Amino acid sequence: MAGTSLGARFYRQIRRHPALIPMISFIGLGMGSAALYLLRLALHSPDVCWDRKNNPEPWNRLNPNDQYKFLAVSTDYKKLKKDRPDF
Amino acid sequence: MAHPLQLGLQDASSPIMEELLYFHDHALMIVFLISSLVLYTISLMLTTKLMHTSTMNAQMVETMWTILPAVILTSIALPSLRILYMTDEINNPLLTIKAMGHQWYWSYEYTDYTDLNFDSYMTPTLDLKPGELRLLEVDNRTVLPMETPVRMLISSEDVLHSWAVPSLGLKTDAIPGRLNQTTLSATRPGLFYGQCSEICGSNHSFMPIVLELIPLKHFETWSTLTS
Repeated sequence: MAGTSLGARFYRQIRRHPALIPMISFIGLGMGSAALYLLRLALHSPDVCWDRKNNPEPWNRLNPNDQYKFLAVSTDYKKLKKDRPDF
Repeated sequence: MAHPLQLGLQDASSPIMEELLYFHDHALMIVFLISSLVLYTISLMLTTKLMHTSTMNAQMVETMWTILPAVILTSIALPSLRILYMTDEINNPLLTIKAMGHQWYWSYEYTDYTDLNFDSYMTPTLDLKPGELRLLEVDNRTVLPMETPVRMLISSEDVLHSWAVPSLGLKTDAIPGRLNQTTLSATRPGLFYGQCSEICGSNHSFMPIVLELIPLKHFETWSTLTS
């Protein structure tokens, strides 16, 4: 049946209540940002270990000029000096 | 320190606390605006003889009171996150000090120097000199150089405590078995008071923190005298 798919029903309901569009978009934005940030943490955070064989402890392999936080307000990480020995 | 009947935050003596003060003003203004709007609306609702019992559809007002709160919340969240990330920045501390919480006093270790450590007990009320602050003074103040980033490593030797200095915007929990780090940078000299901020037993209210910020030259003289 053509008009009873999820998308068609959703479209009909939204046409009847257009005031819900801002709410759905803000909630979608919020949930989407949370999900994307969680994904970023999972993939880029040095505290997370996925591969126990090839990369067992990523937090031990950080450089002083790595920026692993999402936002750097007034520190330019590229300019920081690396003043410790490599092991 | 706070003065009696004080309502607002203490004056800022560090860059982060200045940011927090501005943010607090911003968020509080929004709260006052919303509260006064709601109070005014309630007073209007309660003081009219008019009645309307058949509202079925209100698309425009629904749209407005969805978008406007979302915009307001975003305008609160963005500065808040900015300050949050700012507090975590690397700032090359020149000095490291360990503050260890005990029941019921703080002990400070200046391990950059040899053998400079001391305990800091609250001055009992009967032993206060005239002009001193009740429940806030200590026998040995924590002396620090002003305008220099100082790394504070906070931990505890027994139960949970929390090392807090409100005028510098600092509060870090002292957890036994864990080392927490915060950086401190005061913009002016003086005495800055704080109190233990995690319940830790009978004398939890009686283990204050006093920072004495002095110019670097005087700090170097002090450290040679006391170590």
